Amino acid sequence: MLDGMLLGLETAFTFQNLFFAGLGCFIGTIIGMLPGLGPMSVVAIMIPVSLQIGDPSTTLILLAGVYYGAIFGGSTSSILINAPGEAAVVATAFDGYPMARKGQAGKALTIAAISSFSGGTIGVVLLMLFAPALAGFAILFWSAEYFALMLLGLSAVSAFAGKGKVLKAVMMTLLGLMLATVGESSLFHAPRFTMGVMDLQSGINFVTLAMGLFAVPEAFFLAIDKIRSKKTGKSGAGSSKKSQEISNLRINRKEAKAIVPVIARQSIQGFLIGVMPGTGATIASFLGYAVERNLASPEEREEFGKGSIKGLAAPETANNAASTGSFVPLLTLGIPGSGTTAVLLGAFIALNLQPGPQLLQERPEVFWSIIMSMYFGNIILLVLNLPLVPYIAKLLSIPRTFLIPFVLFFAMAGAYIGQNNATELLLLLGFGVVAIILRFAEYPLPPLLIGFVLGQMFEDNLGRAMRNANGIEFVWERPMTLTLILSAVVFILFPLLRDWLVNKRKKI
Amino acid sequence: MFNLNRAVALVMLAFSSGYGYLAINYHLLPFEKFLAVQPNTLPIGLAIAGVICSVFILIQRQAADASAEGDGTVNRPDAEYLRNPQNFNWSQGIGLLLLATVYALSLRVLGFLFCTSTFLILGGILLGERRYTLLIPIAITASVLVWYLVHEVLTIFLRPWPSWIY
Repeated sequence: MLDGMLLGLETAFTFQNLFFAGLGCFIGTIIGMLPGLGPMSVVAIMIPVSLQIGDPSTTLILLAGVYYGAIFGGSTSSILINAPGEAAVVATAFDGYPMARKGQAGKALTIAAISSFSGGTIGVVLLMLFAPALAGFAILFWSAEYFALMLLGLSAVSAFAGKGKVLKAVMMTLLGLMLATVGESSLFHAPRFTMGVMDLQSGINFVTLAMGLFAVPEAFFLAIDKIRSKKTGKSGAGSSKKSQEISNLRINRKEAKAIVPVIARQSIQGFLIGVMPGTGATIASFLGYAVERNLASPEEREEFGKGSIKGLAAPETANNAASTGSFVPLLTLGIPGSGTTAVLLGAFIALNLQPGPQLLQERPEVFWSIIMSMYFGNIILLVLNLPLVPYIAKLLSIPRTFLIPFVLFFAMAGAYIGQNNATELLLLLGFGVVAIILRFAEYPLPPLLIGFVLGQMFEDNLGRAMRNANGIEFVWERPMTLTLILSAVVFILFPLLRDWLVNKRKKI
Repeated sequence: MFNLNRAVALVMLAFSSGYGYLAINYHLLPFEKFLAVQPNTLPIGLAIAGVICSVFILIQRQAADASAEGDGTVNRPDAEYLRNPQNFNWSQGIGLLLLATVYALSLRVLGFLFCTSTFLILGGILLGERRYTLLIPIAITASVLVWYLVHEVLTIFLRPWPSWIY
């Protein structure tokens, strides 16, 4: 392995490859900030350009840089304007955006960058050490286990429900699951619940729903907020003191101490979730958030959703570790573990490379240079982006008369680009109005999106498992399925039990 | 007491019932009737769960109202603040949503560049911006930059001009 690492290091550590890794990170960060252009789209767009380079290692290094850059870029729009353009960065907005609203945008972006770097780097170490062994673990998962894993992901909704709001969170999850059944599913090739609208045949677009649920209400609340408009006036948030605070990226010792265990736990958990094909960064980030909220002390738990640094570090670490984990099935089995790795598989094939067990034997320099380039991609991303954080954070100092129309415009552009369909925009605004009403009625919106994101996978895997077992016997016939389902039940009951105990103690 | 929470729960109940009605009446193909899992299996389950859940919310509202303070619900401004309609500048918010609707309807017809520039300029004016010499160039530059990045660099088609020109 050491020989392989040295070979990879030698290949990756040339001026040309370092340059392309940096270029990839930069391009990925800039394009990834646009809502609607997640890592998968950015990598897909960059493939034809990168193939012009010719050298397979350099091409893949550029694409790895683009991949990591796009993930970080997506987090930036989530944190600054509450516009998560990709499912994996939705959980980042839960605490990242409240931090930005408190004037800690610089700190939030720094924590995101460091957590991403740590999650990605620890993920690469785990990838190097355990890739072949984990490949075997990944194929142990059948539809029944995936269904149970989705259920576990859905049970994370309890983490987003405050006191007395569990039912509302469950209702929102159900609504998300219902919306996910609109259109054709991969299991049943007939449209459902489309009401004859042709544009709904392929289902509701994730970006349309995410922007409608988060960015549109945000623009609306910013516009109607009398206090803020008086405070900021036409000159925005921009007093020099406030501006300095926004761009301040310092993390103190206490904060660093608080996020280190979160990063350590979520790197491993996120990586293991990412290894399983089809699950990936989205579930990893939601579960990471839920786990850390449950592990936090009661005082810290109160901070979750209001700008907790742990709540920001957890999903950011987990989604990056999971993104790295998704390379395990790709490199060792030739099975893409996520949408982005499926696109990368296309790049491998275009380069005449066949990922799988033979890759390590036949082209070790490519295998190890990809792994090493992930290291470099992460380091370059951190080096490149940390100095940019104060400037990126200052976007929030833009006067509200400019900022609000731009937030709304970026949300709509995210839904429109690539679809060229005005129906998407009307749907987005419709979802936006519903989300505004739900926010006034104090219904938590994240469970709706979680239900929607996991809905299709949930139904597909349930359907396959039921077909295989000709019923629901798979629940008790497969020990791993049963364990995961029981974990999901515990996951939902644990916060309920904890709240009940706290209330009981208060009464005493 | 009938409040917004209950109204939303009632809408959820109606939505779940309507969804359930469509699911039950879903036209199954002859061979699908004998499958272990059918296209309407999960939807029927979701509809039943939705009805039960919304009924519980309708019943439980009083208790939940009492414990509404200081919860960990994410992504919403302060609960007390939201409950007072006088805190808000409704005309700007609703005006912005109407402007966005007009933008959505006219984007394909009038093209990206004109529509986006106009939306950004009118949006700014609606929110109180009066520095036209700053607003207009920024709006036009931003529209052109985004169009150039998407259409020319990323080669994703985005109609720049009105449909009768290009």
